[in-house]
Amino acid sequence: MRARWLQTRTQQYVDVVLVLALKDFKIRYRNSALGFLWSLLNPLAYMAILTLVFSLLLRVSIPHYAAWLLMGLLVWRFFQIGTAQSLGTIVGNPSLVGKVYVPRYLIVLSNNLANLLGAALEFIALLPLIVLLGVNLTALALFMPVILILEFCLIVALSLALSALNLKYRDFYQLWDIALQLGFFLSPIIYDPSLIPARYQFVYFLNPVTRLIDSTRDIFLLNHLPTLTDVVVILSAVGVLLATGSLIFRHFEPGFAEEI
Amino acid sequence: MLVIEAADIWKRFRIPHHRRPSILEQIAGVLSVLEGERYTYEEFWALKAVDFKLERGESLGIIGPNGSGKSTLLKLMARIMKPDRGTIETDGRIVPILELGIGFQGDLTVKENALVYGVIMGIPRAQMKKRIESILDFAELARFQDAKLKNLSSGMQVRLAFSIAVETEADIFLVDEALAVGDMEFQKRCLARFRQFKNEGKSIVLVSHDVSLVKAFCESTLYLLNGEMRDFGPSDRVTDTYVKDVESGAQPLASQQVSQHM
Repeated sequence: MRARWLQTRTQQYVDVVLVLALKDFKIRYRNSALGFLWSLLNPLAYMAILTLVFSLLLRVSIPHYAAWLLMGLLVWRFFQIGTAQSLGTIVGNPSLVGKVYVPRYLIVLSNNLANLLGAALEFIALLPLIVLLGVNLTALALFMPVILILEFCLIVALSLALSALNLKYRDFYQLWDIALQLGFFLSPIIYDPSLIPARYQFVYFLNPVTRLIDSTRDIFLLNHLPTLTDVVVILSAVGVLLATGSLIFRHFEPGFAEEI
Repeated sequence: MLVIEAADIWKRFRIPHHRRPSILEQIAGVLSVLEGERYTYEEFWALKAVDFKLERGESLGIIGPNGSGKSTLLKLMARIMKPDRGTIETDGRIVPILELGIGFQGDLTVKENALVYGVIMGIPRAQMKKRIESILDFAELARFQDAKLKNLSSGMQVRLAFSIAVETEADIFLVDEALAVGDMEFQKRCLARFRQFKNEGKSIVLVSHDVSLVKAFCESTLYLLNGEMRDFGPSDRVTDTYVKDVESGAQPLASQQVSQHM
């Protein structure tokens, strides 16, 4: 009896996450005529500009710099959009929070899921370009979904805290915007991480986003799997952030309907 | 058998004197506390010592002037909010129809919106896909199913939402004046649908200002005044009390008792 009830309940939650994620996904791409194309043009334009600046003007000597940049940009873009959008998931859904009861974390989760889908499609759509830029695709590329799912877990962990805090403090998104700008330069997106002085290397590589970008370049450009340390660092960061994030979310959740 | 049992429930809202919704203000607030300026707020009890019971298959009306706590009580029953004191035990599936069209998206089609709304209201996705045609038929919107929702009139949108809400498998429906929308013809059909629910042994909790509707529909009625139970019992008696109060102007106007906390 109890098992059956649990099963229906779980099924209902899965349904809710799926339809909400699909809704977010459709809205994201249906609002503009170019839809999905825009989401490809954005990182491509970035890549072109940065390649121009760094490889032609500043003469950075990283092999396959354009493709190398694109990896960093795509991983970063998923992180940036995923966390930035999560800030509005609770604040932006007053009727889902205040007029009906669905567990609120499902609202956050569904938005993260929509962005995972978007990021995966961007990667797939840009694969031909990566080949065109001179990269040899190997079977290692099959490891990419694992990296994306690890990144998804990281985004979920952060989103729980961000969505709750942004309801409590309505200017929290401003703070996160600054953090993201800082994060862009604290991650090896445009520069080679070996430029970081040796004594800061250890701390620098505790950043899970750094590990995610590095792992992506490992499988596409360096033809080897991410190291065990990469995976351990990412999983530990996810574990710590998920624990903190759920605590923060659960602390604020009983007041959601009143604050909104 | 009871489907809802509320025992001595209290619900408090806190309204800070200096709202500090932002991080910057929060920091400034901490500084001013250090300087001796205290954090102050007003306390406002939206519900005080409310007790009631609802038998399976019976319906409950909730009446009272604006701001007397009716909607707050519905939200407590629906688990959207938690009481500060007391307990609300419920038995069976509850579907709150507090606002029609939760999460509707103008840029998606009528059909897409219907699917999202239905699933949020607790209808399994697979079933929703099967039943969508009959839902659109009931709402008389079948020919608009692929139109963007924003192109529908607001009355049509409400009709859509309502048609989905009544398809949910629930034991208790919580209805917050949602019936006051739609044209007369549609209202009549909604009432018929609710009667049918009653005959099937389902319970309805109805918040309304329409005394005759409450009288016709609900066995018992709860009359709330400033968050307190002014009366609870058979609908005929309780609605009479309400009407008399309104006519004699005996209602202490919504001058909420607010306590200051320094």
